[in-house]
Amino acid sequence: MTRRANATWTVTVVVPDESSLDAAGETVELEVAEHETILAAARSAGVWLPADCQQGWCITCAARLVEGDVVHPSARRYDDGDREAGFVLTCTAKPRADTTVVVDQYDDLLEHRADRGKPPGNAKLGD
Amino acid sequence: MSDEKEHASSGVEPGDTSKRVGMEVIRERGVDPEELREKLVDAIGAEFTTYYYYTNLRMHLAGEEDYKEITEDARLEDRAHFELVVPRVYELEGSLPNDIREFADRASCPDAEVPTPMDDDGGFDTEDLEVEDILEVLLEAERCAIRTWSEICDMTRGADPRTYDMAQRILNEEIDHEAWFIELLSKERDGEINPAGHFARGEPGDAPYSTNNRFNDSA
Ligand code: FES
Ligand SMILES: [Fe+2]
Ligand SMILES: [Fe+2]
Repeated sequence: MTRRANATWTVTVVVPDESSLDAAGETVELEVAEHETILAAARSAGVWLPADCQQGWCITCAARLVEGDVVHPSARRYDDGDREAGFVLTCTAKPRADTTVVVDQYDDLLEHRADRGKPPGNAKLGD
Repeated sequence: MSDEKEHASSGVEPGDTSKRVGMEVIRERGVDPEELREKLVDAIGAEFTTYYYYTNLRMHLAGEEDYKEITEDARLEDRAHFELVVPRVYELEGSLPNDIREFADRASCPDAEVPTPMDDDGGFDTEDLEVEDILEVLLEAERCAIRTWSEICDMTRGADPRTYDMAQRILNEEIDHEAWFIELLSKERDGEINPAGHFARGEPGDAPYSTNNRFNDSA
């Protein structure tokens, strides 16, 4: 994959059919600059993706990485377990390659955190 | 269809105390009151942790009386936000977690810790602690709160006027708070003048919007 001169990457956002978002069932291509987050790029392109804290903490913005590469330089609560399971937080995720993500994955990440005894899953799904 | 009818507020039998019309009217208008309620618990978890963390942040603004005072206003108002919404959680048949750790873990905004490591004696290593770093933590905490209460306004607009009213009162104060810390941080860090447009509260932590709905005088 070649890095372009102006350092923007194509991020393909897949919104699942069963999502409650307006864009359910759609696949949107965004040009995302290296310093930009996927969430900010989507919202400024008129694609409303879920988010709350926008500081990589609450996981409302969770997505799954299908292809490509992102970094989370400022996320406040994102760990290797999330990364290894293929989760990204779109509010803080910045592309480092052409990337495809499936959005609206809050429930799945919440469960994945609960399984590992990590917040907020432990607190919200615990017994 | 029959399922929907079962949940309709008009379907609550006279004298039935197992259901709340106050919740069913929200459901009828397309918002899941249980989902909203859990979001409220997360949001007031953040108000509560922020109230705690601001205690530490304001103390470490040593010698900066004006900054301390403003931080105290923001701190007390976060407590007011917690107090304002707690009864709403119960009205929606929820509860506060019994374990405070659980409450903190699910808070929707990050811990606003003093931006310095601990030293060997278990105290704060304040050697390199800068006022501007504390102000930045405060600013980002306010920004998170603005996003959270805006989300709750979105969720409730046109469907749950009672929660919407609370969320918009809180949002008013969070936007005040952001303006305060933009003013202080730009002055402290950049020598720039970016007026907030307002002055400190009349009384510490006045909460001019959110305590209009005061449910007890100490809150
Ligand atoms: S919006 Fe909170 S983690 Fe992304
Ligand atoms: Fe607050
Ligand atoms: Fe605040």
